[in-house]
Amino acid sequence: MADKVFVTGAGIISALGIGQEATLQALLNGESGIGKITHIQTEHEEFPVGEVALSNAEMSRMLNVGYPIDGLRTVLMGIIAAKEAIKSAGLTEKELRKAAFISGTTVGGMDKTERHFKTVFNSNVETDDSLELKYNDCGYSTELIADNIGKFNLVTTTSTACSSAANAIILGANLIKAGVIDIAVVGGSEALTKFHLNGFNTLMILDKENCRPFDKERMGINLGEGAAYIVLESETSAKARGASILGELRGYANTCDAFHQTATSENGEGAYLAMRKAMDMAHLSPQDIDYINAHGTGTPNNDETELAAMQRIWDYELPKFSSTKAFTGHTTSASGSIEAVICLLALQHGFLPKNLGWHNPMKEDAIPVIEDVDSSNVKNIINNSFGFGGNDSTLIFSEFIKENG
Amino acid sequence: MTTLAHIRITPSETLLNGKVISNSNISGIYREFIGDYPKFFKMDSLCKLGFIAAELILKGQTPEQKENASIILFNRNGSLITDRNYQKTIADDNYFPSPALFVYTLANIVTGEIAIRHKIYGESSFYVLSHQDDEMMLDVVKNAYLTSPPSFILTGWVDYEDEGNYLADIKLVTK
Amino acid sequence: MENLILQLKNQIIEVLNLEDMTAEDIDAEAPLFGDGLGLDSIDALELIVLLEREYGIKLSNPAEGKQIFKSIASIADYVSKNRKK
Repeated sequence: MADKVFVTGAGIISALGIGQEATLQALLNGESGIGKITHIQTEHEEFPVGEVALSNAEMSRMLNVGYPIDGLRTVLMGIIAAKEAIKSAGLTEKELRKAAFISGTTVGGMDKTERHFKTVFNSNVETDDSLELKYNDCGYSTELIADNIGKFNLVTTTSTACSSAANAIILGANLIKAGVIDIAVVGGSEALTKFHLNGFNTLMILDKENCRPFDKERMGINLGEGAAYIVLESETSAKARGASILGELRGYANTCDAFHQTATSENGEGAYLAMRKAMDMAHLSPQDIDYINAHGTGTPNNDETELAAMQRIWDYELPKFSSTKAFTGHTTSASGSIEAVICLLALQHGFLPKNLGWHNPMKEDAIPVIEDVDSSNVKNIINNSFGFGGNDSTLIFSEFIKENG
Repeated sequence: MTTLAHIRITPSETLLNGKVISNSNISGIYREFIGDYPKFFKMDSLCKLGFIAAELILKGQTPEQKENASIILFNRNGSLITDRNYQKTIADDNYFPSPALFVYTLANIVTGEIAIRHKIYGESSFYVLSHQDDEMMLDVVKNAYLTSPPSFILTGWVDYEDEGNYLADIKLVTK
Repeated sequence: MENLILQLKNQIIEVLNLEDMTAEDIDAEAPLFGDGLGLDSIDALELIVLLEREYGIKLSNPAEGKQIFKSIASIADYVSKNRKK
């Protein structure tokens, strides 16, 4: 019988601030981190974004790192979040040597590539810095984060768009259940880049105002950036270490919508299958789910199809649900783990994050969490992350119940 | 793990289950063996390569079997060639970012394209590795059977650098 | 108008990767989306970029595109009335 998979540590950095505590306070106070773009030189100043407040220079000083990491935002944020996760789990160097590090990203060092693209690729000059660009790929970004936090047994990168971090978590859990490793530090990191801004803008799915997930008048996404990692651990290992347990990763699933490269199917087939299969693994029925942290990007398409999928399972008796993307922005490849940490904070501290920006329902009964609710009895949380390519992932986090005697 | 079928495509030859079936390039293979999917031409090179490999290797599989299959692919370059092409459309001040190119700046769109064509609703994943590590790839694939077991898994290496440099080394496996 | 229609046909063939098609193959009045050439939402967005790049016309709302992109003829009509280049 495979071991249970527990969560024994977490770390996060986003527009809400650095670390679990700052994130918790922002969520409880309903303070969104979305605002004007400051760290990128772009013509598209009209789009609100969820940027991490610190500059690269500030993060580098904090971490005491130099060249080339000081110019790589994805790596800097990744190190900050991963360090917090490892520290909160109380893991030693020795324990990390047997662990896995799995990180999801799409852009890797794209921010640096963008700064140098014109000069480097238009001329054939090879400078020291241009040689460094050879290491801006996704895989190497993960390696750089790993190198700065420990010596791991296994390091790899998932790259499945907005479900990358969720899939990193799923791979870590599978490796633990297979008995390959006992501990996995898993999640994702993604810096905001011109690549994102121009790309999403050209698909015409960005909102010029603050986003309004699940609202009747929603117009699109606010992009965000950040990093988050959780420490997954087998039950045996966690108990042997006397680790403090934040929750259990009770179920998960990944499915494909198989409909379109970027749009989602009208009846939300992929989303429906992902939630159903995750509940099957968790041996939970729909009534057992207390809260859904939706993918909820705020686009007309996603929110409609995600709600359709939810209604196929829960009909008119939807559990409490909300999208936290109006707090953090859509952090793309890191969203699965950033929102996982938010779900774990909700479980631990007995609150449900609000769906900011919401005014009017899409359908009469589809009202997300918009005020403080009694959350003392929240036991099982669904966390959805859906990526382009129809890559749909659902994670289920459940409260850890201490056994007596 | 049992291998049900194996395809290997390089610029010089295409081998299906050990037999050379073509020496054409990617478009050539499409025209010779497929030809009924105009959307093929909108795909980027990585997707075209993955698409033809999947098409040839999935011949004979029924819709019921395909519905519950999984797709797990790996490479080293991600979607780099398209990333570069897309970057060109936003490099200058007078830029016109291309939505069609942007869509393909994600390595996992290749799993999406295969799923759309063959109506595959199971698990799909894409991993970026430093090199074709058969042992690690096998580990990841075996793990897919821990969750809801797929009917079969389409898995392997699919990487595209340029016209003269690409490899699709893909298997259909089952437990 | 004939020249503009021919020009649009060739531009669209190139921009939407409609390989194996020539201008003669496309009927100017035929529907482009749905059954016609089977174009999808991403193609519509590429057409919006084409309008701006080649003719200086900015469409800020993708919903406007539906009427304009009905056929090559309707695009030609819109371009001739609104072009800035």
